[in-house]
Amino acid sequence: MFYTQVTDGKMNKTALCESCAQHQGITDPNGLLMSEQLMGPATSPPGSDSEVSSVIGGADECPTCQFSLEDYRKIGRLGCGDCYLAFSKEVQQRLPSLHKGLKHEGRFPAGLLEQEERRGLLESLNERLQKAISEEDFEQAASLRDELRDALKDQKEEEANS
Amino acid sequence: MMRFSTLLKHPADWMAGHDAGTSVVVTSRVRLARNLRQAPFPGWARKGQRRKIFEELSELFKTLPTMREGFAHELSDLDSLQKQVLVERHLISREQAARNEGSGSVVNRKQTLSLMINEEDHLRIQAIRPSLQLHEAYELALSVDEHLEDKIDYAFHPEWGFLTACPTNLGTGMRASSMVHLPGLVLSDQIGPVLKGIGKLGLAVRGLYGEGTESLGNLYQISNQSTLGESEEQILSRLTKVIGDVARYEKQAREKLLEDDPMMVEDRIGRAAGILTFARIIDSKEALTHLSMLRLGANLGIFPEELIEICDRLFMETQPAHLQWRAGHKLPPDTRDAMRAQMIREQLQSALPPAIDIPDLEK
Repeated sequence: MFYTQVTDGKMNKTALCESCAQHQGITDPNGLLMSEQLMGPATSPPGSDSEVSSVIGGADECPTCQFSLEDYRKIGRLGCGDCYLAFSKEVQQRLPSLHKGLKHEGRFPAGLLEQEERRGLLESLNERLQKAISEEDFEQAASLRDELRDALKDQKEEEANS
Repeated sequence: MMRFSTLLKHPADWMAGHDAGTSVVVTSRVRLARNLRQAPFPGWARKGQRRKIFEELSELFKTLPTMREGFAHELSDLDSLQKQVLVERHLISREQAARNEGSGSVVNRKQTLSLMINEEDHLRIQAIRPSLQLHEAYELALSVDEHLEDKIDYAFHPEWGFLTACPTNLGTGMRASSMVHLPGLVLSDQIGPVLKGIGKLGLAVRGLYGEGTESLGNLYQISNQSTLGESEEQILSRLTKVIGDVARYEKQAREKLLEDDPMMVEDRIGRAAGILTFARIIDSKEALTHLSMLRLGANLGIFPEELIEICDRLFMETQPAHLQWRAGHKLPPDTRDAMRAQMIREQLQSALPPAIDIPDLEK
């Protein structure tokens, strides 16, 4: 496809393949304009005032490495791993145009998988316990409470060992 | 520790070992992008922070069995020619060649594994295998990854996977690609639709040296675009299937060309052989174009099979930095072109019969 952009009276013609065009958000009506990607948006977007900036995911500076959201908008790169959390709202908006899915389906580094599984187990035990309590099934709740206590104990021991 | 000259004296492991059956897919590469937790990515880190990470990772690499007797250098220790040679061998990226202090390259003796420190990400683990062996290349890279993850905390998030400097690599951090030689599809004008089809499947096609480079010598790189939302295995299998299909289309295109217009094919190959055996001055683009046809000739049985390997080696060794490195210093383009022509003539002398006798394929 061909893409013509006019800035300051100068015409700039670009020939792009379909996938590149999609990649740059040109065919996507919700995507940023190319000029915005290159030069930043003309007006300051919502979320940039200081009130909101402390909220996780909508920060305008990463608390770990001080990389700014503005720089991310300009260059499309991040400053450190924690920037993903600090700017998660903005980053997540871009992911559907880049990837097949939004959730990691690949491998976990050793150790993290067990951690994650344990976290999942604790979460589901807790959910079931809350449900049992709300349904006044106290026998079930007691048994779940014991299971949860054991799981938490295991976790503490593991943490102490590592 | 291996010296630069020793590294280059040997052709890379993956340059050898092709026969007519496997040669459409030249190489398979897998690279994994990894970063350290809470440390600024190389592009945002200060020089001191980059150096610290460089030293930490270099120390760790010494514990890798496969990297013993390997090549390890900080890029600031290498001159521009040496860096360019590493780029031509696909051992470092063009982006990394532009970086200096605190950026480094570690390569094993067989040149099948290369670790880039402080490229766009803190660490990129790359494995190269000949022909269509993406799973094998991944296993090789994974062995390094697993060794390292016990010793370092990677930047990782359960929802988003491995966190990378650019969100395009987020998730598995894995880019898998194969370099394919497609002269049959180019000659039969089918390359356009095939490349378009690959693009529709969500895969990327690029020229010889990655992003933004034009295709030379009918060589293309096919790689995955998406790194999030699929497992490594799903990505590798999908890619292997598509590349296998492309290789089959290429073979069909060659057969059909020989059936429909054998004279045209033989003429193109014969002309390429003629220019390469007699030219006195040849630039790298022209050399690649003709070597590509010569390789096709060897694939089709017009020339001896051993020529495939000679062409693959010449693809690499006639590139500008390799030529200058061999000469020991920088050379102006016209001197390089003369040197290139001489090198090709010498190499082909042993493999091509002196009077080129093209068998009549119609018989």
